[in-house]
Amino acid sequence: MTVVLYRVDERLIHGQVVLGWGRELRADRYVVVDDALADSEWEQELYRLSVADEHDVVFATLAAARAALPTWQVDGGRTVVLTRDVTTMADLAEGVATDGAEVNLGGIHHRPGRREVRPYLFLDDEDRDAVRRLVDAGTRVTGRDLPAATRVGLDQLLA
Amino acid sequence: MSSAPKGSGAAPETPLPPGVLRAVQLRGMFVQASWNYRTMQGNGMAWAMLPVLRRASEERRAAALDRHAEHFNGHPYFDSVALGALSRLEVDEADPETIRRFRAAIRGPLGALGDRVVWATAVPSFALLAAVLYWMGVPGAVVAFVFLVAYNALHLAIRAQGFALGWEAGTAVGPRLRGLDLTGRAERFAALTLALVGVVSGVLLAGGRGVGALEWPWFVAALGAFFVGYVGGVRLWRPTAIVTVGAVAILLALGSASLLSG
Repeated sequence: MTVVLYRVDERLIHGQVVLGWGRELRADRYVVVDDALADSEWEQELYRLSVADEHDVVFATLAAARAALPTWQVDGGRTVVLTRDVTTMADLAEGVATDGAEVNLGGIHHRPGRREVRPYLFLDDEDRDAVRRLVDAGTRVTGRDLPAATRVGLDQLLA
Repeated sequence: MSSAPKGSGAAPETPLPPGVLRAVQLRGMFVQASWNYRTMQGNGMAWAMLPVLRRASEERRAAALDRHAEHFNGHPYFDSVALGALSRLEVDEADPETIRRFRAAIRGPLGALGDRVVWATAVPSFALLAAVLYWMGVPGAVVAFVFLVAYNALHLAIRAQGFALGWEAGTAVGPRLRGLDLTGRAERFAALTLALVGVVSGVLLAGGRGVGALEWPWFVAALGAFFVGYVGGVRLWRPTAIVTVGAVAILLALGSASLLSG
């Protein structure tokens, strides 16, 4: 399996993902799953600024990502899959083979209604429902901002 | 009322009083003054945007203040690009969702740019250049003055040109930033700094008697240190790098001690 990281991060591609995780995991492809972003050239240009030219950046709609995920899981690339929210990640995972994969919640910021789990992680009821759907889909969900940080387990995410 | 493309770089239809944008820029100086873990620079960005937001229509104003107070974390100097572009978007009455998405997309790249260009390159390089000046015999007060003037010339240039670029390009600022190749320029400047580190280390090892008194083995050692740092430095895992720097520092101390006693 060559999807090296599934990550939920509102900031999508940024320093922590590219330098913190990408370097550690030797990622060479970043896939951003976001319907609105897949259709927005100027936004894509901004997100591409964070990635060195030799890396591949793909902006996919949820439907396109669901279709392509089985290929990313077996082809030669080392892929990082990013979504902006837990719900999109759950929609992506359901029914598509991600068995045993670890889904990393790495950056969901404060918004009214969200409760703090970690300073980098705030969840509301919708997020927690999506976490349960991810678990039902056979993935292991943990909170972690950087590779060296301690994993935050399900008990704390759903508390 | 406005039919111009929103935030597309078209000139705003109602010209702003000249002081408004300047006020946003000046307030940008304090963008980290209420930094917090929830919204990071969010409060600072909203406060900096106030001169523009005050001119928004009644129905836009409250929501506009809210969206600019949301989470933001870029870089205190490079945030000027965002402030310029966001001012343009608010003046053009762009779709609030576009503004929100622009804020979300621009913060990461600006943070990365600031890290590389300012924190990882400009600060150590300018400090080192100052150290070299001091070693050459320039009085300390003059060195400090030169350092502060040179560093802040760069700092204020980033703020002023960043704001102008953002105001001009709006949401299309991405390709413009890429075209400037600031990261590439910073990397070349960092290479120059590394060369200086090598030379200065050699000079320190030679007992501070100046480059003129530098015997050739020290010069070779300095060049060697430069190339090792240049090739290997970026690949070192952080604890490894700390150990390496520590080891070099101990060697330097031992070397100077033996030179002094000998």
